[in-house]
Amino acid sequence: MPLSAASINIDDSVLVQRSQSGDLEAMERLILKYQGRIYNVILKISGNSDDTAELTQETFVKVIESIDKFKGRSSFYTWVFRIAVNLTLNYCQRNAKMATRSLDAEDNESDSQARQGLKEFLSDDSAADPAVLAQRRELCDLAKQALLRLEEPQRTVMVLRDIEGMNYAEIADVLNIELGTVRSRLSRARSHLREILEAMQK
Amino acid sequence: MKANPQIDELLCSFIDGELPLRQQTEVQRLVARDAEVARRLRQLQNCKNLVNALPAEPAPIDMLEQVKRSLERRTLLGDHAAPTVSRAGARHLKIRRFVAAAAMIALMGGLGAVVYQIVAPVAPGEAGRPAADMSRSIQVIPNTLPDAPAPVVVAGQGFSGRLELRTASLTQADAFIKAAIEDNGLKGFAEVQTLADRRVYRIECRREGLDRLVADLGTIWKNFDSATLVVDTDRFADPVVIKPVTVRQVAQIVNQDSAETSVQMARGAAVLNRFAQAMPGREILSESEDTTTMMIATPEIPRPRLASNDPATKAIPAPPQGGVQTTMTIVLLNTQ
Repeated sequence: MPLSAASINIDDSVLVQRSQSGDLEAMERLILKYQGRIYNVILKISGNSDDTAELTQETFVKVIESIDKFKGRSSFYTWVFRIAVNLTLNYCQRNAKMATRSLDAEDNESDSQARQGLKEFLSDDSAADPAVLAQRRELCDLAKQALLRLEEPQRTVMVLRDIEGMNYAEIADVLNIELGTVRSRLSRARSHLREILEAMQK
Repeated sequence: MKANPQIDELLCSFIDGELPLRQQTEVQRLVARDAEVARRLRQLQNCKNLVNALPAEPAPIDMLEQVKRSLERRTLLGDHAAPTVSRAGARHLKIRRFVAAAAMIALMGGLGAVVYQIVAPVAPGEAGRPAADMSRSIQVIPNTLPDAPAPVVVAGQGFSGRLELRTASLTQADAFIKAAIEDNGLKGFAEVQTLADRRVYRIECRREGLDRLVADLGTIWKNFDSATLVVDTDRFADPVVIKPVTVRQVAQIVNQDSAETSVQMARGAAVLNRFAQAMPGREILSESEDTTTMMIATPEIPRPRLASNDPATKAIPAPPQGGVQTTMTIVLLNTQ
C-alpha cells in the first residue's frame, strides 16, 4: 500500500526506534512526515528554490546514515531540523556572493504597485490578519526579499519561529544557542525586518 | 517611538507567548498606559504576521524516491564519509596541488623523452618490441613462444585487452558494472561469468560503447583497491601491462583508432606511471591524470547517468555494428 502523509499517526519515538532496528517503512514514514516542513524551512532560509530540493534530500540522507547515532537526548523533531539548518547555513555561506547578486536583481524588479501596497501595510497601525496578508501576493514577494536581506542568524530564528512555529526552547536546541540569545536575536530580526521594509517602500 | 532593544525583546516574547504570567500582565498594563508601546507592539506583531503569511511551498512529490536513489548511489560508490573527508582534506588540497604542480614541471621533462621514444623511428630488428631503455619502464609479460609471429592487425580493429580490478565490495561493484553494461546498451555484446571470487565480463563492441562503459567505471574507480590494464592480449605476443592504471588512461587507450595506437598509448602510459611513482609522494599519480592529455587529445568522458531521474538518459540505444571494433575483458577480483 502506498504511504501518504495522512496515514502517519504513529509517535516519532516509535518510528525512530523501528528505523534504528532497520525498519525501512518506519524511516519512510518519518521522511513523509517531515519532508514538506523541512523543504519549506530550507527554502525560506536559502531563498533558492533550485537547490532546496537537493538540500532537503541531503538532509534525509544524513538522517538515515546517522539514525543509529541518535540517542534521543533531544527530540527527533529538533534533531532533524538541526541537520537541515546546518546544511542550509553551510550552503548559504558558500553561495553568499551569488545570493547578494540575485537580491540586487530582484530589488530592481519591484514595481511601484508593490511598493504602494507595502507603504499601506507599514502605515496601517492596526494589527494585520495573516490570512488577509497571504492574499496579497505582491506584499508577500517583498516580504520574501526583505527576509533574505536579514543576516542569516536572524533570518534563521525568524523562519523557525514564525514559519515553522517552534517555541524558543526548540529553536535554542536546533541552533545550539542559549534561550536568551534566541530571545534577543528574534527581537532584533523583527525590528530589522521592519527597517528593511521601510527602506524598500521609499 | 525610537526602537528600544529591551522593550522590543519584551514585546516579542509577549507576542510569542514566551513570558511568564506575571510579566505578561505587566506588559498588558504597559501597553494600556503607553500609546507608543502599543504602537510598537502592533508593528512587531505585523512583522511576525507578514512572515507567517508567506505561502508554504510543497516539497517535490518524488522526494522519497530521490532520497532512496541518492542513498543507493552513495552506498554503491562507498562515499558515505565523502563530505567529512572533503572538509578535512580541504586544507591540504592547496598544498597537494602545489606539490602536484611542482611535480608536473618535473614530469614534463620526462614526458618529452617518452614521446620522443614513442614516435622516434625504430630499427627494423626492433619492431614490435619496446626500445632498449624503455624496457625497464614497461612491464612485459615474458614471451613463452620463442618465435612468435608478427602481430596481424585486422582492418577496423581497435583496442583489445583485459582490465583487472580488485575490490573488497565485489557484489556492489558487480551490480554496478552489470547495470552500466545494460545502461549503455551493451548487454547483447557482453558475456558475464560469475565465479566464487571473481566476475568476468567479456565485451566485444564498437569503440563508442566501450568509451561509455569506461566513463561509468570512472564513477566508482576510487573504490577499487587496484586496477591493471593489459593491452592487446588477444593478438600480440608481448602485451603491455599498466599497473596501476587510471581511468583516464584506460579511456585514452580504448579511444584509439587502431590496435597499434592503443599499444603505443599504453606504452606511454606505462612509462608515465613509472615516472609518477618515482616522484616524491605517490598521490602524484592521481594528480598526473591530466598530464596524459598532453600526449594526445583526451576523449570526452560523458557524465555518469546513475543519479539521473530522467528515464530518457538511461535509454541508450545498442551500438550499431561497424566502425572500430574493440574487445575488453573486465576481471573483477574479490580482495576479501
